[in-house]
Amino acid sequence: MLMPKKVKYRKQQRGRMTGKAWRGSELAYGDYGLKVIEPGWVTDRQIEASRVAMTRFIKRGGKIWLRLFPDKPVTKKPAETRMGKGKGAPDHWVAVVRPGKILFEMEGVTEQEASEAMRLASHKLGLRTAFVKRELVAH
Amino acid sequence: MATESNVLEAQPRAAGTKNDARRVRRGGKIPAVLYGAGKQATAVSLDPRQVARILHSASGHNTIFDLNLDGGERTKAMIVDWQYEPIKGSLLHIDLKRVAMDQKLKVQVPIVLKGEAAGVKQEGGILEQLLREVEIECLPTDIPSSIEADVSHLVHGVVLRVSDLPHDAKLKFLSDTNRPVAHVVSVKEEVAPTPEAVAAEAAAVPAEPEVIKKGKQEVEGEEGAEAAPEKPEKAEKKEKK
Repeated sequence: MLMPKKVKYRKQQRGRMTGKAWRGSELAYGDYGLKVIEPGWVTDRQIEASRVAMTRFIKRGGKIWLRLFPDKPVTKKPAETRMGKGKGAPDHWVAVVRPGKILFEMEGVTEQEASEAMRLASHKLGLRTAFVKRELVAH
Repeated sequence: MATESNVLEAQPRAAGTKNDARRVRRGGKIPAVLYGAGKQATAVSLDPRQVARILHSASGHNTIFDLNLDGGERTKAMIVDWQYEPIKGSLLHIDLKRVAMDQKLKVQVPIVLKGEAAGVKQEGGILEQLLREVEIECLPTDIPSSIEADVSHLVHGVVLRVSDLPHDAKLKFLSDTNRPVAHVVSVKEEVAPTPEAVAAEAAAVPAEPEVIKKGKQEVEGEEGAEAAPEKPEKAEKKEKK
């Protein structure tokens, strides 16, 4: 699973997800992409599951870029534990995404293949997404 | 040549806060600013449909058009920057620059790859375009709508660079001529991992990342780090009770 190599602090507060993704909201590498249209957390497992789903669908046909990284630790208390006694232990990692963020990009496949691969990937995420493509007209 | 007989109507507006810009957008226009040619910057508002038509034309954002300002100024201009809303994709703001037809300009021109690479056809690789626009310097009348590059000779290990792009003496590349434009890469197929491989990988990866210690508190930090693992155990013991 994806996670940072080094962190300054082991635990974080939840934070807010207001606003839109003004950075990382345009295609940078590939011709096709998956854009998230609602705010939320994407876990390391969801990212890995999406990546595997896309990679297995396109086989050797294309190249995939991940435009998000889970750098926020989420803690969890053990089961059947009374409240209190401090914050729980780090459990997993999430990426905070705001509407407009491009999650994945793809190149070297047809639009139909990319669309289907992105559809499979979007089913692994718990957020509403949209398929986007680069405008091929010269501009 | 990127010059077209387009006329863009613009209305002057009072340059103000972002609330003023929002009011302009609510009125069906988009805020813009006109500058360049040694003259003062002017805040204007534009019709988004006219701007979208220019951006989606054959010459794209390098189109040189006549800007007709309500106040009377009529000048040659081009779009140098534009912002999109991240979700809906609507235009938010435009930067326009006055163009002197006898002076050289610096513009970004799109690179269009033509043909099927031999590395894709014969070796099963993927053609990756690393650079999609190249910066050039030329006269406004010599701006090409795009630079077409033939990639049919590209195989594994051969890189198409900026210096390889076809151009005439009227154009001067400002981008690093050694910069790669396209190459053929191979992608490994994802193989379903065996349970043993998954277990070995899980054992190799540490459960938690390393915590960066502060320089001054190194001695205390080390002691703290040594003591730290004991704390959760104590907490668990207490919870069990």
